[in-house]
Amino acid sequence: MVPKELSEEMLPPQITTPGDLNRLIRELDNLDEYLRQAALRSSQEPSNLPQTSKALEELAALNSLQLLKPDDRKIFKDLLSKIKQQAPTIHFGFATAPSLTFLSKLVSWLRINVHPQILIKVGLEPSIIGGCIVRTTNKQFDFSLRKHFVAQHSVLVKSLSGMEETPQP
Amino acid sequence: MIIVIIGALVVVAIAIVWYILTSKKKPTKHAIKGTYEDQAKSDVEHIFNDDFRQELRNRGRLYFEKIINENATFLQQDLRQTTSQLNEYIKKEITEKLGEEFIKYEQTMRDANQIALESINKTNATLETETQALSAQLREQFSNEKARLIKRFEENMAEIVNYYVVSAVGSQVDLNDQLSFIIGDLQANKDEIVKDINNGA
Repeated sequence: MVPKELSEEMLPPQITTPGDLNRLIRELDNLDEYLRQAALRSSQEPSNLPQTSKALEELAALNSLQLLKPDDRKIFKDLLSKIKQQAPTIHFGFATAPSLTFLSKLVSWLRINVHPQILIKVGLEPSIIGGCIVRTTNKQFDFSLRKHFVAQHSVLVKSLSGMEETPQP
Repeated sequence: MIIVIIGALVVVAIAIVWYILTSKKKPTKHAIKGTYEDQAKSDVEHIFNDDFRQELRNRGRLYFEKIINENATFLQQDLRQTTSQLNEYIKKEITEKLGEEFIKYEQTMRDANQIALESINKTNATLETETQALSAQLREQFSNEKARLIKRFEENMAEIVNYYVVSAVGSQVDLNDQLSFIIGDLQANKDEIVKDINNGA
């Protein structure tokens, strides 16, 4: 499969989980509500806007939308709602909690190679030691070290037999 | 020997008594008439007067004492000799008896020792047999247990290694170091993942 080119529909790497997307929607709602109330109170443009996240600003810029324009905000809200409804979610289970950098790299690869708006959910499974377990809508892919150990059972037995036959001095 | 000495003493005593008696009761068988007889009587009375008799008695007493002393000496010597011989005899007898008893005791000890050795040998043989049987049984049990453990270990080796690695390294495995491997696995299964996502419910 040929990787998709970066388009306006691709989510920035800061938005990795459905929680991140929900947070953006809340930020946009808060901003929209603040600007709407400010417009009702005064015709002048408000000076102290609520602080917005970098991800929200990047996503708006990526889609050529201006957050101060009510129409753009409406389009942005619709876009985010559409993404929330349509974005596929994939679950990853790791042995330890992943860092934001790790998640950003992983989700970047997924959005390039699998789906441009894909979101991931992260869970902890310490028994897998290393690697990960991936659950899509209907399937599960075990990329864990435990699975590798099971697959390499004969190699382990062979190695131990070799160690028993040739003990170290 | 003692009897002979005592007999000799008795004979000597009888002889002295007889001599004394005969010297007093010497009869005058021939009747001498007249003055010869009287003179003889007078001479006899004169010669064997009381002093002479007393002197004879003293001599007899001295002789008897001498004989008695000599015989006592002999008797003493004989008693010493007899005692010495008796001691030697008793010593010899006791030595012989003790020797016999010691020989019997040694024989008994040898027999007892032999019986004890035989008993110990039998016990050792029994113990050896039991030990061999027990060793064989233990070897078999060890072998079975070893085979069971090895089989179980081989069957659950992946889980054991997994548990060991989790216990050993646990949460110290850095996910950033695993990113390339995870992406490699994802790349290998990318088609299936994309297909499942596109066809998802």
